[in-house]
Amino acid sequence: MLLEVRDLHVEFRTRDGVAKAVNGVDYAVDAGETLAVLGESGSGKSVTAQAIMGILDTPPGKVTGGEIVFQGQDLLTLKEDERRRIRGAEMAMIFQDALSSLNPVLSVGDQLGEMFVVHRGMSKKDARAKAVELMDHVRIPAAKERVKDYPHQFSGGMRQRIMIAMALALEPALIIADEPTTALDVTVQAQVMDLLAELQREYHMGLILITHDLGVVADVADRIAVMYAGRIVEQAPVHDIYKAPAHPYTRGLLDSIPRLDQKGQELYAIKGLPPNLMNIPPGCAFNPRCPMARDVCRTDVPPLYEVDGGVDGMDKRDDMDGGRTSACHFWTECLHG
Amino acid sequence: MVEPILEVGGLVKHYPLTQGVLFKRQVGAVKAVDGVDFTLHKGETLGIVGESGCGKSTVAKMLVNLERPTQGLIKYKGEDITKLSGKALKSVRRNIQMVFQDPYTSLNPRMTVGDIIGEPYDIHPEVAPKGDRRKKVQDLLDVVGLNPEYINRYPHQFSGGQRQRIGIARGLALRPEVIVADEPVSALDVSVQAQVINLLDRLQSDFELSYLFIAHDLSIVRHISDRVGVMYLGRIVEIGKDAEIYDHPTHPYTQALLSAVPVPDPEAREHRERIILAGDVPSPTNIPSGCRFRTRCWKARERCALEVPALAVPAEFRHTNGPEAHDSACHFAETLSVSPSTPGGAVPPEEPE
Repeated sequence: MLLEVRDLHVEFRTRDGVAKAVNGVDYAVDAGETLAVLGESGSGKSVTAQAIMGILDTPPGKVTGGEIVFQGQDLLTLKEDERRRIRGAEMAMIFQDALSSLNPVLSVGDQLGEMFVVHRGMSKKDARAKAVELMDHVRIPAAKERVKDYPHQFSGGMRQRIMIAMALALEPALIIADEPTTALDVTVQAQVMDLLAELQREYHMGLILITHDLGVVADVADRIAVMYAGRIVEQAPVHDIYKAPAHPYTRGLLDSIPRLDQKGQELYAIKGLPPNLMNIPPGCAFNPRCPMARDVCRTDVPPLYEVDGGVDGMDKRDDMDGGRTSACHFWTECLHG
Repeated sequence: MVEPILEVGGLVKHYPLTQGVLFKRQVGAVKAVDGVDFTLHKGETLGIVGESGCGKSTVAKMLVNLERPTQGLIKYKGEDITKLSGKALKSVRRNIQMVFQDPYTSLNPRMTVGDIIGEPYDIHPEVAPKGDRRKKVQDLLDVVGLNPEYINRYPHQFSGGQRQRIGIARGLALRPEVIVADEPVSALDVSVQAQVINLLDRLQSDFELSYLFIAHDLSIVRHISDRVGVMYLGRIVEIGKDAEIYDHPTHPYTQALLSAVPVPDPEAREHRERIILAGDVPSPTNIPSGCRFRTRCWKARERCALEVPALAVPAEFRHTNGPEAHDSACHFAETLSVSPSTPGGAVPPEEPE
């Protein structure tokens, strides 16, 4: 495995109390694999990514437990200067908002070239040539002329390409893309996602795609991890989860997508609101919103159940790829119901 | 046919670009909206889709008179409201209200919910006498699914979805006939979006509202709209009933837009042909001659650079009565199924020359 996150816990200590943003997250990504982390705002999907990258705001944020094993090494035991050498070179991140992630007073060429100057000790001239090469690679037209331009002179889609170029510069083994196309228009989103998928294949990178869009996930992911209130509530291969979700939250998300045959009818809506992270409900965090909740859900935190689709005398579903987990006491009912 | 409640004709909004300090001269214009026509009937929902910068929000602002059109008509029940001022304008504006995109910035953080929802009554006191207002505001909170006891709370005490409900309550306060909703759910979480859409749907039938629903999420627009208009660079390029647009699009831009939407079905991944448009939307200061989509269109020919295509039923479909016979501003309109349910439906475009 390229990256394994084990039982990760992250807290934010604020004036108003302790917000438990990540409460025991496990996931793994292999080289060449795309893992989509799906969740709403506040589900902890971005905080997990920041902990992996080592760019968590500390304080108030603090990793309070767990391991992040990257290429056989627990990152949480490393010193900051060792982590800095990994960051950018071995793992890189693409952010949602390219305009605020790029430095507005440096030309894009300088920002791209900086990667090579800092990590590879290249001369400025060589770094500039590398920057042009990268911009070409992410298909920015007239790269040679545009290398001197500043971020505001590019369109949203082009800026996101520059972010991708910057992440790819040192050919990292892992890329974390946090909502990379959320700020883009549909037609541009398609261009950028295509480019990202193509480059991933070319470099055989592991990709963690953080998103809230079930459509984007279905298009590119190999595996999906669904997060809710700082936990992964369900993890499965992409085909399985759309066919038969094994957690009521996943089911609710899929059911609330408007479908053609429901036109004019009321949309399915998950009732209630996502929980306050300072005050996560006891038992299963989803229980106040869950249509299947029973007494045990209000008291016992569900463990991660292995989902094999063949328990309780129900038919084993042959159309499933397997290897999935669900954090629901009643996952069998959800899967078959 | 009954008279439409809103009729928009030749609507144009140009923002001048000036140069010079003392003697300002106009050197060009941002053509945000460049000739838009549509009608809206009572109880109907017209969805407007398009990408950022296509002018859909500017159209919304002109309808509620937050912007004055450069040219064109906006007729409310047959009366052109663009020329009105003073009292007459005020009384018309009461009937056309707006719900904004961002529930975080569109509510004044220093006002209580009661003051926010009740503020329209200060401007139009004839709707609710002073002593009656608190009751009215509480009724509105109840209507949008919030606890009436929250009347003294401040916006920051609510979540995004609840704030949007407050914004909707404010829009309803004056009992308008038309609601212009500009991206009302795009700032909300997925699990909350469906709640707000259902609320808007219910309010429409309860109060016989007409909606102009602006959004970029095509599946939500289809769910809520009776008719849909597709905008590109300041103009409507195609408009028709929802099934006509989504299942039988004839304009290449609509086809590309629909094919680019990610579909929440991994099975569709393999047999889906997406039309990936080349390049970016041109600048609205420098709109291409002829058809404004031609710079990204794979079908563009010489005629497209010379002649502006009119928004009308294309000649080849004029005598059919099928779903493809709807308004489409393309010289070479043809049907192309881009619905992901039909494998191999879409043909990938050839490289534009």
